[in-house]
Amino acid sequence: MHSISTALTWPWMQEFVNTYGWLWPLFEVVHYTGMSLVVGVVIGLDLRILGLYKAIPIGAFKPLVNLAILGFILNLIGGIVFVTGTNTGAEFYVENLSFQCKVVAMAIAIANLLIFRFSGLEHRVYAVPAGGIAPGSAKTVAWISLVSWTAVIIFGRLLMYNDTLLYFLGL
Amino acid sequence: MLQTIEDLSIGVWVRESPSIFAYTLVLSLHAIGLAIVLGLNALIALRLLGVAPAIPLSALRSFYGTIWFGFAINAISGGMLFIASATNMGTMSVFWIKMAAVATGMILSLRLKSKFLDDPTATAGGAVPAGARSMAKWSLAVWFFALIAGRMTGYPELITRWFGI
Repeated sequence: MHSISTALTWPWMQEFVNTYGWLWPLFEVVHYTGMSLVVGVVIGLDLRILGLYKAIPIGAFKPLVNLAILGFILNLIGGIVFVTGTNTGAEFYVENLSFQCKVVAMAIAIANLLIFRFSGLEHRVYAVPAGGIAPGSAKTVAWISLVSWTAVIIFGRLLMYNDTLLYFLGL
Repeated sequence: MLQTIEDLSIGVWVRESPSIFAYTLVLSLHAIGLAIVLGLNALIALRLLGVAPAIPLSALRSFYGTIWFGFAINAISGGMLFIASATNMGTMSVFWIKMAAVATGMILSLRLKSKFLDDPTATAGGAVPAGARSMAKWSLAVWFFALIAGRMTGYPELITRWFGI
């Protein structure tokens, strides 16, 4: 744990963030923007798969997935700034249960997307026309997506209130 | 008056309860609600500006049910957050700027719906009317501004330093 924290603490980033007081809020705004992009697309595609917005052929969402990936990359950049640049060093995040849970939730969300893509399920789903019903396995993927991304947001918000999470878990 | 609001039992509970279902849940719901409202408004605006053109224009109005759902989550969670720190938020200029931006964003979004998205003749063709494109750009700008103003409610001292308000 300690060596991970040391590796993830970048003194030049800490100095950068300390020198320019607007950098942290700037990257928070970037982080929320990326989040909105991801969530907007995730809601659109997942809820369509689950049967809402039936007038949209599912393949129409395809270009938006790239936008969501862009949003995620924006967030990754922001996240790197936060983890490597925070005053007290990366252990603030690395040793934070909420952060750890957030990373796990993200890993699940990404694994889910990769399975969707590389199992060929993606092709079947994008072929569903307006008014059509998505295959059952796609609905499972959609639920996992919605739940895991919601968990990412919740654990992300809990980061600064980790004590509350610990109290809730009796730890 | 703000102190009276802050002393309401719901404010006390949100603020002082150690339970995860108090302040932290309300904060989380606020983040989720904003992601829904901003994300879907952005999706609609981007479609009107030519992204994902296979989405039928006539289908865009179906997102508004979910937008209202997100808005309701944020109205309730936002109300609870305000009550919990009324003396702080109520006197903060950037908070009121945020509220104005959110109101503007919602009005713009609803106008976009009533003027274009609900009009079957306007959405029948593939082409997006020029007025709708313009409103879409404004929508993106206003909501992005609301996002920034909202985040800056966490840094009122920076706002005072930079803008003197």
